[in-house]
Amino acid sequence: MTTSAATARSGDVLRRSADWARRAPLLPALIFTIVVTQLPFVVTLIVSFMDWNAYYPDERGFTGLTNYKRVLTDVNMRDAILTTVLLTVTVVLVSLFLGLVIALLLDRKFIGRGAVRTMMITPFLVVPVAAALLWKHALFNPEYGLLNGMITAVWRLFGSDHPPQPDWISTMPLVSVETALIWQWTPFMMLILLAGLQGRPLDVIEAARIDGAGSWQIFRYMTFPHLRQYLELGALLGSIYIVQNFDAVFTITSGGLGTANLPYTIYQTFYQAHDYGRASAAGVVVVIGTIIIATFALRTVSSLFREETSR
Amino acid sequence: MASVTYDKASRIYPGAERPAVDALDLDIADGEFLVLVGPSGCGKSTSLRMLAGLEEVNHGQIRIGDRDVTHLAPKDRDIAMVFQSYALYPHMTVAQNMGFALKIAGRSKEEITSRVAEAAKILDLQSHLDRKPKALSGGQRQRVAMGRAIVRSPQVFLMDEPLSNLDAKLRVQTRTQIAALQRRLGTTTVYVTHDQVEAMTMGDRVAVLKDGILAQCDTPLRLYQQPASVFVAGFIGSPGMNIAEFKLDGTDAVLGQARVHLASATLTALAEEGADRIVVGFRPESVDLVTENDPDAFPVTVAVVEELGSDAFLHGWHSDLPRGDGTGNGQIIARVDPNHTPAKGSRVYLRIQPGKGHFFSVTTAQRLPS
Repeated sequence: MTTSAATARSGDVLRRSADWARRAPLLPALIFTIVVTQLPFVVTLIVSFMDWNAYYPDERGFTGLTNYKRVLTDVNMRDAILTTVLLTVTVVLVSLFLGLVIALLLDRKFIGRGAVRTMMITPFLVVPVAAALLWKHALFNPEYGLLNGMITAVWRLFGSDHPPQPDWISTMPLVSVETALIWQWTPFMMLILLAGLQGRPLDVIEAARIDGAGSWQIFRYMTFPHLRQYLELGALLGSIYIVQNFDAVFTITSGGLGTANLPYTIYQTFYQAHDYGRASAAGVVVVIGTIIIATFALRTVSSLFREETSR
Repeated sequence: MASVTYDKASRIYPGAERPAVDALDLDIADGEFLVLVGPSGCGKSTSLRMLAGLEEVNHGQIRIGDRDVTHLAPKDRDIAMVFQSYALYPHMTVAQNMGFALKIAGRSKEEITSRVAEAAKILDLQSHLDRKPKALSGGQRQRVAMGRAIVRSPQVFLMDEPLSNLDAKLRVQTRTQIAALQRRLGTTTVYVTHDQVEAMTMGDRVAVLKDGILAQCDTPLRLYQQPASVFVAGFIGSPGMNIAEFKLDGTDAVLGQARVHLASATLTALAEEGADRIVVGFRPESVDLVTENDPDAFPVTVAVVEELGSDAFLHGWHSDLPRGDGTGNGQIIARVDPNHTPAKGSRVYLRIQPGKGHFFSVTTAQRLPS
């Protein structure tokens, strides 16, 4: 009796020390992660409730929800929130659609499929700032950009010496930023959807073919519902990243002409206005916005599909 | 409803040297239940998929009724198929699964509902109509797959090993249900299985395939009683037939002390072939336990006795032959009276019942006349 209790206890001790022997090597990484991710967030949270402007050091102190009130009532901030939503929704939807089309094409067998697939992925591998610079200077520039160059070439082909030379970024600033982002995010969506397509159960498709379904019906009733979770995943990850986008806005338009999204506005508030409290509050709003968008997107898509299958 | 004809239909997979299905000739009558059976890789599933339109036909023709369907898309063939994996549509309910073909065909909602309800009643699925396949048991999924097929009232049912994912007991139960359902609906059915018991119990006729070639197509009883080749003889029946190469000795075939009398027709065929050996097969039930004094008795050492209740099977080896595996080296299976089983390790005397032997040519492995 006592011996068995003693063995049980020593077994416990042994197990506990074995557990710690396993966990201990992970501790430095865990502490590091907490220090670099969780602490800053907590500090941001605290600062967001403070009046803290580098230009007015004497006024530093807690002010409750004032910063949040200012963030949500300030016209600039509200515009920034709207811009962020518009930018995110457009980029995610368009790149999802394009990604789906390309994934469907790449799902077929043809010679050089591997090479084409690799090339289709490259935009995603380009450093975001570099991609934005490339779009701004090499493509959109009205003087020497590729787009206007092509227009000139096409017009010359038909004998016209006066091709239109639009200034893309000034006439359609938000669309320009969106285009660059769509170009970068389409490969990401394509990869996710291609993985989904290739995980399609073949026998189900065969069963549908025998049940009389044509190509379009197979896509509509089999492939599309199967891709549902992949579309959700793509939309979710895409939204989370694009809500926080800074590079493209900063590089292409510097936030001008109504393209300033929340992260850019936060940057301005922090580094130019030096209003740390308000910037932190806006940062927290972005985080909350990200969570809301993610949840919202998930719910909409889910209910959409529930309707689809119950019909 | 319609007949099905394979007319020298072949399928050669790209890059393969040998056809997976080689000039298959089969006539399946209207309303018939035909079973395609054979070991794995014999081309039975490929044959079925050729009929379904899921596999290309490289040579020859396939006709359903009078219609040449060789190059038609699956959807234009008016067939329904039950897959081994059932291939249910995972995101649809049972009712939607069963009604999908009708929905695609543009039938009215009322018609779909009533036909699905009818099929669900036949298959006892009424209470599961709103469930998704994920929430069903294996047997229920199998029935949904069946339901999806019968809802359409197609010209031909194709079934690709539909019972192989069920447990043994359910398989036996479902086997009879499917056979009864087919008789009731009277739809021409082509059924693929690797299980010869399934083939024998379900089919009006059974086609045995080996290496893409049709070995024999006949009623289950004739397959059992008159196998056309050594392969069919060994494949059909459980436990399998005892098959061994015997030497010719006058008008008898002899292996050790085992002796079988040959009919004159068999002897003539052997003489034409110029063979001095013959493949003899005899089923476990064609062997009698006799005394040492019986003129045709041969000694057997008992290795194991399998007692199944209604039957008992004696596994042993010819005592006067060197041991090895296969009947050629003296292994033998015999059915014995379950109430009087010989002891393990004992020596018994067996006799092949006269007239119960199956004789095959050594060179062609085909059946010899007897």
